[in-house]
Amino acid sequence: MTALSLVGVSKTRGAGAHAVRALHEVSLAIEPGEIVLLEGPSGAGKTTLLAVAAGLLTPEAGDTRVDEVSLASLSPAQRRRHRAQRIGFVFQRSNLLGGLTVRENVLLAAALGGLSRAAAARETDVLLTRLGLAPLADRSPRALSGGEEQRVAVARALAHSPALVLADEPTGSLDGASGLAVATALADTARCRGAAVLIATHDARLGPIGTRRVRITDGRLEAS
Amino acid sequence: MSAVAALITTAVRIGPRRFWIAVTGIALSVLLVLTIAAAFRSASLGVTAYIDQPGADLWVAPAGTDNLVRSSAILPASYADSLRAVAGVAAADPIVRAFVSVSTRHDGARRRFTMYGVGYRAPDGLGGPPALAEGRPPVGRREVAIDRSAARQSGVGLGDTIWVSGRAARIVGLTSGTNLVVTQFLFANLSTTNAATGYGGQASFIIVRVAPERDPRVLAREIAARFPDLTVLDRQSFLANSRREAGAGYLTLLALVDALGMGVSAVVVALLVHGLIEDHRTEFAILLALGAATAPLVRAVAWHGARLIGVSAVLGVALAFGLGALLDRVHPVIPVSFGARDVALLLAVLGGTGVAAAVVPVLRLRKIDPLDAFRP
Repeated sequence: MTALSLVGVSKTRGAGAHAVRALHEVSLAIEPGEIVLLEGPSGAGKTTLLAVAAGLLTPEAGDTRVDEVSLASLSPAQRRRHRAQRIGFVFQRSNLLGGLTVRENVLLAAALGGLSRAAAARETDVLLTRLGLAPLADRSPRALSGGEEQRVAVARALAHSPALVLADEPTGSLDGASGLAVATALADTARCRGAAVLIATHDARLGPIGTRRVRITDGRLEAS
Repeated sequence: MSAVAALITTAVRIGPRRFWIAVTGIALSVLLVLTIAAAFRSASLGVTAYIDQPGADLWVAPAGTDNLVRSSAILPASYADSLRAVAGVAAADPIVRAFVSVSTRHDGARRRFTMYGVGYRAPDGLGGPPALAEGRPPVGRREVAIDRSAARQSGVGLGDTIWVSGRAARIVGLTSGTNLVVTQFLFANLSTTNAATGYGGQASFIIVRVAPERDPRVLAREIAARFPDLTVLDRQSFLANSRREAGAGYLTLLALVDALGMGVSAVVVALLVHGLIEDHRTEFAILLALGAATAPLVRAVAWHGARLIGVSAVLGVALAFGLGALLDRVHPVIPVSFGARDVALLLAVLGGTGVAAAVVPVLRLRKIDPLDAFRP
């Protein structure tokens, strides 16, 4: 079963004179448990590829499948539900909700993913403990360090047991040691839970944690 | 509320400082609206209570005069005798109504103010006080009954002496339902008001009590036909005309101020909802990216808007009660009294304006792009 499958995906961003071919006939398949590093310079199309994989952007051509479900076959509401249940996100900034505690941030993702209250609470506690965040559970994200915030973001991304985690420069706002620790935590936890991970990154130090590296340049994908 | 809805509502709550500033603004608007509505109602009640008293079935006035509040024509008091001779008239009494100058001495200080004087055939004639809170109706020339809030305001009470157009009179009664806000009633014997106003032998109105077996409207038409120089109005018509005149001029102004108060509330609600959405734009984008539907986001915003309005309304009503109690102590002629109906109406209007004011900001929420969550 393939966690993510992109076949001949093309996407243009902007309109008129400002139109840019962000993805050009991109094909990529990621299996459960795989950690794929998506590398490339700024503006190469990394974030566009993640957005297409998430169903947040609709490509002009090609087919996108997440957990064997073609996103093109889903209505917008079905696509949103599929995203909530089958995809987890780690953004460049942690993007935690400052009005919620650490625990509530993770709990919300689990609940959005369709878990019952009890199951969501159980999964949240398991992940917080595994990622060493249990002592911080009742704190506001505003009281955390950058590394701690990103570890909470990892917990949030995995709380609903997604098939695919999309991470956009997850170490971009962290120093080297913290960044590597977060990426390692993401890779280990995802692998342990059978989730595939696609990490868009500039950070060469993440190389060892990936099972595969792909490079994107001017919207075209090439194996590294 | 589902776990998702509860968490989203918590995630996008309004900061406490901003919340309480907005609540204070709206609550003060509520206070303004309630105070003005209460003052107007009290003035209207004063007119109503006096005209609507038992026995005052018909109001007879000089031709062209149709209300108690704004009229100055007079007619010979002897019309009362002529009217008593009409079949179906059980009683007919003249009243003299004029603004009178009143002065008091309280703790050595002399105060002067104007009251709405009513002279009648005291103590049993028609047109006396509609209700006595304390004491009795005036009997002799040197006795008066005055509105109790005016008495409290002036620091006088039963047994004290006041000067009506320079003539001393003792307060023997305190009346209720006789506060017109801008002035208050004073009741005295006809001879007292005649002396104070120089209206000897004249009357402002003749009040007629109709015999039980007669229809007041029919009798009014009969009297009008027999006395073409007079206007004869049944109680309801006279009441309606007087209410109209009581509100004329400043009713529009009060309605305008009330509307402005509600408008301020609506603007504050709109600003806060707008600010809520703008301040939490990133959070909304993150939630949409994570797969949240738009509906719970809208509901969360609506909940915070409703909470804002609810807390503001409660605070505004509490402030109005507090102001009412305070004014009752220091300035009792300005009543701030209102009922559950006023509060319910206010809540309905406030809720309506709040919802209307929040529509545009909420529509903006639907345009938030979940891709914003990817932007550093």
